[in-house]
Amino acid sequence: MTGATLPHDTAPRLRTLGQDLLGLALIALAGLAGYALFPDNLAFLTRVVSVALLVLSLDLIVGYCGIASLGQGALYGTGAYAAGIACLHGVTEPFLLILIGAAAGAVMGLLMGAVMLRAHGLPQLVLSIAIVQLLHEAANKASSITGGSDGLSGMVPAPLFGVFEFDLWGRSAYFFGLALLILVFAALRFIVRSPFGMVCRGLKEDPLRISALGIRAFPVLLKMFAISGAVAGMGGALAAIATQVVGLDSVSFEISANALVMLVLGGIGHLYGALIGTVIFMALEHVVAAINPFHWMTLVGAVLIAIVLFAPRGLSGTLDEAARLLTRSRWRAGR
Amino acid sequence: MKKTSFGRFVRAGALALAGVCGLGGSAFADTIKVGIIGPFSGPFALQGKNFQAGAEAWLAQNGKTVAGHDIELVYRDLPTANPQQARALAQELIVRDKVQYLGGVYFTPDAMAITPLLKQGNVPLVIFNAATSAIMTSSPLAVRTSFTLSQTTTPLGKAAVERGVKKFVSVVTDYGPGVDAEAAFKKAITAAGGEVVESIRMPLNTTEFSPIMQRVRDAGAEGVFAFLPSGPPTLGFVKAFSDTGLKKAGVKLFAPGDLTQESDLPALGEAADGLITSFHYAVSHDSEINKRFVAAADKAIGAPDLLSFPAVGAYDGMFVIAKMIAATGGKQDAEKAVEAVKGLAWESPRGPVKIDPETRHITQTIYLREVAKDAQGRWINKEIASVPDQKDSGLTK
Repeated sequence: MTGATLPHDTAPRLRTLGQDLLGLALIALAGLAGYALFPDNLAFLTRVVSVALLVLSLDLIVGYCGIASLGQGALYGTGAYAAGIACLHGVTEPFLLILIGAAAGAVMGLLMGAVMLRAHGLPQLVLSIAIVQLLHEAANKASSITGGSDGLSGMVPAPLFGVFEFDLWGRSAYFFGLALLILVFAALRFIVRSPFGMVCRGLKEDPLRISALGIRAFPVLLKMFAISGAVAGMGGALAAIATQVVGLDSVSFEISANALVMLVLGGIGHLYGALIGTVIFMALEHVVAAINPFHWMTLVGAVLIAIVLFAPRGLSGTLDEAARLLTRSRWRAGR
Repeated sequence: MKKTSFGRFVRAGALALAGVCGLGGSAFADTIKVGIIGPFSGPFALQGKNFQAGAEAWLAQNGKTVAGHDIELVYRDLPTANPQQARALAQELIVRDKVQYLGGVYFTPDAMAITPLLKQGNVPLVIFNAATSAIMTSSPLAVRTSFTLSQTTTPLGKAAVERGVKKFVSVVTDYGPGVDAEAAFKKAITAAGGEVVESIRMPLNTTEFSPIMQRVRDAGAEGVFAFLPSGPPTLGFVKAFSDTGLKKAGVKLFAPGDLTQESDLPALGEAADGLITSFHYAVSHDSEINKRFVAAADKAIGAPDLLSFPAVGAYDGMFVIAKMIAATGGKQDAEKAVEAVKGLAWESPRGPVKIDPETRHITQTIYLREVAKDAQGRWINKEIASVPDQKDSGLTK
């Protein structure tokens, strides 16, 4: 975590609340700026929001519990397929679909947690990969339900509030997604600061000490897996609603690995990092792929290596550092 | 919490900035944009390169202006079958890049994800490859210049039985075109007096084929019918067929030409020698127009060894798009554009072709070919028989 350099003993609660409100306002502002500046890119921006939910959910597990996972796509894909299948079977209300995605993701999170928490370290990582691969294969085999390699398509979500349709231009999908992201982000800030969130962090830093306090790790971590699953599931459901297609890639190792890359890029262990990493990574990929559709992967790889070499703590960590240096010098000048 | 609010501010600012960097688009006066979606990187990059070579060969021969309108191609990369990404790319090409036409699309699932957008976007889609029959029923604004598995597979039934091979195992990739191929072959071989004793469907991402070859051996079949999407899978499959000794044991492989695409032949060499395939196009097809096409496409792709069938789909696709542009006078009118090419007939590098007005799919000659060496010692698909005027039979039950 970032160092405790600044004292803040007076009304810390009020202060963190103010900071959170500021953060949320900035996210909303960034979202609106995205709309105003790129009204023709809303489909892409909606995808960014959807993946941001996935990366946020991964941060809960990796950043707050210290559990490495390369299988987060399992939760995201479960949400996407659950929402997609429900939509094809007549449940077209978008809010309900998001809830269905969240519920399905949470259930899968419980299952995944129950399996993964049996192991530690590398075996745990291997288990996460195995789970996402298994689910991928299951989705492929059950083609009568999931559409297999052909993908699940043909769902038509009902208009938002009965008015705003999910159309080609993607305005309703974007604002729907943005609102969802802000709500989820606010809830997560609350959760990670709650006593439960503190215990999770404690388990990451010093599991022995936490167990000495008489707290059992397993139920706590399992709960975090369920929350993470719900968040990832909502991301998947949002993707299903916005694109009206669910493909096997949503439950793939590739998307899981990409999510981890985005998280590391943005900075592990504070939720803002997840957002920054997602936006930077996807914008980079998007722009480079459009400029040179033939060699873009090479370019993206090179940039990633550069970022990891020069900003090993992730972009948000580096920004933190810069901010601290700036405020410090300002502070000194002020005295 | 241990962070300064200023730190927050900086980070959130970076978030906004990151959204800003580099996105943007613009439109030009009287340049008609054509968006081409294909696998331009990743394992199937060669197929995408062929799209590009075909399209650029057409532009090189006919100029970049149609009826006074400049054509600009906008390429978008879709490395593997990924319906969600396909839809996102198509949506972006329509909304942001303001393309008037969509072309390309290698895999069926991707095409199926794109077709629902066409009506709303007022954009026709000219499919350069994706070969499942049912795609055409999903939108009246789709036109196809490639082939369907049903079309290419059907002549194989008779050809196999004529060569005394009657007892078959069918091995296909488990997705749209694979299922089509299996059905078409079963129908054709039964009609000719043979039978399929076992049907195997493999996942799309299968790369290890020796267990499959073992099952073929166990089934005691005289022949194997196989379909996989052209690219690394087909190369691996044909190699495995030879390496596991099935070929030596006298089992005959019959397949649509996807399995012996020209760009794989140098690597396959002896392993493919004598394989009988049926397809709509061989690079070695003997006609004046094909020679000119191959010369132009070779130049576009850089190395002649890389040229293969997706290029001809793209070349004819560009021809169709040019006709659409001419018919609509450069105005965006998807319905009128598609209407204008219904029944369009022309001489393609593959032979005489026609857009069937009912299915909007290409009617063409299907050739029976054998892998052999030509006079210069290069491996080619040598045409040994032809079945003219084949419509897509995949939708008629």
